[in-house]
Amino acid sequence: MFKNYLKIAWRNIFHHKAYAAINIVGLALGIAACLLILQYVNYELGFDRQHARKENIYRVIQDRYDNGKLSTQWAAGAYAVGSAFKEAFPEIDDYVRLNQAGSQVLRRGNDLIKLENPYFASSSFFKIFSFPLVKGDPATALKEPFTVALSETLAKKLFGSVDVLGKELKVTGDRIYKVTAVYKDMPSQSHMHFEALFSFASFVQLIGPDNNPDNAWNWDGCLTYLLLKPGTDPKKLEKKFMAVVTQKNGESLKQYNADVKYYLQPLTDIHLYSNRMLEAGANGDGKTTYLLMGIAFFVVLIAWINYINLATARAISRAKEVGIRKAVGSQRSQLIGQFLFESALLNAMAVALAFVIILAVVPLFNRLTGQSISIGQLGGGMFWLNFLLLYIAGSFISGIYPALVLSSFKPIVVLKGKLVHTTQGSYLRKGLVVLQFAASLFLLIGTLAVSKQIRYMKKQELGMNIDQTLVIKKPIVVTDSTFLNQLTSFKNSLEGQSGIQKASSSTSVPGEPVGWNAGGIRLLSQPENVAKQYRVIGVDYDYVDMFDLKVKAGRNFSRDFGEKKGVIFNESAANQIGFTKPEDAIGKDIFFWGDTLRIVGVVHNFHQQSLRDAFEPLILRLFPDVRGYISLKVHAADVKGSITKVEKEWNRFFPGNTFEYFFLDEHFNSQYKSDQQFGLVFGIFTTMAIFVACMGLFGLASFTTLQKTKEIGIRKVLGASVNSILKALYQEFAWLILVAFVIATPIAWFAINKWLEGYAFRMRPDTITFVLPLLVILLVALITVSYQTIKAALANPVHSLRTE
Amino acid sequence: MIKITNLEKYYRTEEVETVALNKLSFEVKEGEFVAVMGPSGCGKSTLLNILGLLDDPDAGSFLFNGIEVAKFNERKRADLRKHNIGFVFQSFNLIDELTVFENVELPLIYTGVKASERKKIVEEVLDKMVIMHRRNHYPQQLSGGQQQRVAVARAVVNNPKLILADEPTGNLDSSNGNEVMQLLTDLNEQGTTIIMVTHSEHDARYSHRVIRMLDGQTVMENIMI
Ligand SMILES: Nc1ncnc2c1ncn2[C@@H]1O[C@H](COP(=O)(O)OP(=O)(O)OP(=O)(O)O)[C@@H](O)[C@H]1O
Ligand SMILES: [Mg+2]
Repeated sequence: MFKNYLKIAWRNIFHHKAYAAINIVGLALGIAACLLILQYVNYELGFDRQHARKENIYRVIQDRYDNGKLSTQWAAGAYAVGSAFKEAFPEIDDYVRLNQAGSQVLRRGNDLIKLENPYFASSSFFKIFSFPLVKGDPATALKEPFTVALSETLAKKLFGSVDVLGKELKVTGDRIYKVTAVYKDMPSQSHMHFEALFSFASFVQLIGPDNNPDNAWNWDGCLTYLLLKPGTDPKKLEKKFMAVVTQKNGESLKQYNADVKYYLQPLTDIHLYSNRMLEAGANGDGKTTYLLMGIAFFVVLIAWINYINLATARAISRAKEVGIRKAVGSQRSQLIGQFLFESALLNAMAVALAFVIILAVVPLFNRLTGQSISIGQLGGGMFWLNFLLLYIAGSFISGIYPALVLSSFKPIVVLKGKLVHTTQGSYLRKGLVVLQFAASLFLLIGTLAVSKQIRYMKKQELGMNIDQTLVIKKPIVVTDSTFLNQLTSFKNSLEGQSGIQKASSSTSVPGEPVGWNAGGIRLLSQPENVAKQYRVIGVDYDYVDMFDLKVKAGRNFSRDFGEKKGVIFNESAANQIGFTKPEDAIGKDIFFWGDTLRIVGVVHNFHQQSLRDAFEPLILRLFPDVRGYISLKVHAADVKGSITKVEKEWNRFFPGNTFEYFFLDEHFNSQYKSDQQFGLVFGIFTTMAIFVACMGLFGLASFTTLQKTKEIGIRKVLGASVNSILKALYQEFAWLILVAFVIATPIAWFAINKWLEGYAFRMRPDTITFVLPLLVILLVALITVSYQTIKAALANPVHSLRTE
Repeated sequence: MIKITNLEKYYRTEEVETVALNKLSFEVKEGEFVAVMGPSGCGKSTLLNILGLLDDPDAGSFLFNGIEVAKFNERKRADLRKHNIGFVFQSFNLIDELTVFENVELPLIYTGVKASERKKIVEEVLDKMVIMHRRNHYPQQLSGGQQQRVAVARAVVNNPKLILADEPTGNLDSSNGNEVMQLLTDLNEQGTTIIMVTHSEHDARYSHRVIRMLDGQTVMENIMI
């Protein structure tokens, strides 16, 4: 029986090569696109799964409220929660604390190795997380003060081997740490990527006996992970936190009219759903991931619809066969089986081709998405499972409807030669075509909106000037107390150089979150309980000038006034502290962590970060000799030469420090990298979707015109012009596309607005965003249809009439 | 073998209701060769389709070998059909994607005959229909007469007790038509019951008996001499 099915399926594919090719290529493209995206999605969904006790590991996250208003959402919050919660709740098995250790410089012989963002970690780190150790004992590794665990790569880089237990490591300045563990490099699918972990006990020693982290309810910056006992309900536990917090810290919070809420965040949710202050690293984006999943589904859906449409359009040519088979005794179920078998066969060819396509485009896909899917990874179980699922689902979804339609034909009707011209079938086909075009339009509108938003963000006035700006990262190794003078001399020596116009140092530069977040700030005249949080940048006298910030009221810092205790607010900050008119803020004194500082000026809001982020209340605090980034305005003429000069000076002033620099405009625009990647991926898959949809349309148009060949012939004999015939054919498809447009537009509108919610500054989707895709689709569709119809319309009518 | 009593069949299209069979009754005995004649639209094909279990009547009784089959569901009808009935159509109705051999083999596949046995049976039948030399050709490569011989071969390959032929010579010239009529006559002589619809008095002469129909009813039965 199957041999017979195979034979007839094979011959059908062979006799109708174009039809089969459209189906196979379309399905293959759809499946390949879908699999690639799913691979990416799987990767994104698979973070932090390597930990044996992942189900029981939660991170304590912290929401801060000031005057009842949510002000900051911390990933790394108060230090005290770990020990306090562990003590209070028997459900907690263990906890681990992590906090930033700041960038460090390590020495290997004469080479300097910079450690970008190491952390302190308490001793239970390797017990709670399953990061396997190459050397050392997980139970004791980070117990003692001044011990360090190194990643395998770093150990090899520093010592040339992993046999380094007990070796001493000189860290920035001359502090000595003893290596107590070497761990396998943290996998890429982890929200933590530490090259080195210093023991938290070292941090405790460094801050001295007067500061006890166990009581530190008001310092932020500590990542706390809890290991819960199996079976603990995190939601129930979470509810009990408040009582402990109130007991331990309630008074102090009340004093500032503040409130802090703590939540438990599952370890495996961190990568996709967490974007808080002081994350352990940049996380992924769940929204994008699910959006891509939606696109994947659309592309493959369009391919399946092609199959359904072409199969039902061709039903007439298979009707006779159905009738005959029924007449000689076939059951309907056997016919359904036969047609499902055919779709399974075609889908099998399609998945085979899809596999070839994937192999061919994986490198390109990786480059575009910044992914690192290797061919080897494709062998992963998840990949094959998706592969199989798509195959089975595809065979069934694309095959079942045509199978039901075809097998339902009544032999008496079809065998009489009365061809079934089911209006029902053609309505369904039209409906599906509308669906395809609605999906294509949706994707195209989305692509346009994404690129428009990116363009909008890049073109927007930033409220500052970041052109021609070279930024040098701060020196880490500072050996003597004359550093401050050194920095000033360094700046002065640079400003004397030709090619360098200005120099300024600051704790933050544009294009990144401001790391300094200070609470408790208020006007001197205000009571404590209205104090609020502000972002603070420590700047020198030249900062405002350097970035061309526009003073709205008051003035810039000035050496002439000899001031040391000045601050400049941005408009949002002036607003937040209580001034509707910025000029009212000038000359007022504020309370800043025990200091009294005077507001000398208010600047217009400027985009410290990408336009994703809203303006934040920002204070520029004057520190004439602030240690931080050094920004230089360089002449465009000889940038290379300037860099060489700067490096020479650097090595003279700060020996033992790595010279690292970047261009500020690039740094700033790199914030849009993920948006651009998303836009690109979106665009590529949209193009594929439209291509596949048009292939289907091409096939459908061929059948329609084939059916209409006789009609066209008669019309021509009756004197119709080619144009009028084309017009009639175009109209039909144009209508379908218009209906699709009516369906797609509101959905796209809704989706775009939903997506734009993630951006503080948004473009307005205009008519072009919607109408252009419509025109593009209309044009592409008409070209597709034209090929067949023009051929039919130009044909000599005698031919088509005679073939009947 | 066949006994129909007060068989009725209506076709409803929108407003119009056509009475295709109007309380039709007759009987066909095993081994008979019956021709059904009548003007176009009188219900001949409708009758044949019901007799062939391709369609069901709206009312009346249809005994096939003494079993009431008028109310059989599609499944049971297909089952009964594949073992007992062979069809020959005016427009041959061969599957274009299958060769002569494969077309004739088809009914055997559905009755579950083993492949080796199928080959033997099909070759035997093709030999009998003098079409063996074309076994690997596709229908499109054959003349009308040859195609109809293949269709007859397919109708008899299962050794059915009954062959229903709807204008089997309608699309053939007279010499090819006569050939097909001879084949049917031979089959009938070997014991197969044949019911044939025809417009041709000439063809009707091959049968034992003619049932004449008008507006869904039998008007006359005459025995051929
Ligand atoms: N599917 C159908 N729907 C509606 N009416 C039908 C259908 N099939 C047949 N009829 C009508 O039923 C009547 C009998 O049709 P039938 O095909 O049985 O005639 P016939 O005797 O075989 O004619 P012919 O000699 O032309 O083949 C006709 O009036 C026909 O129009
Ligand atoms: Mg008829």
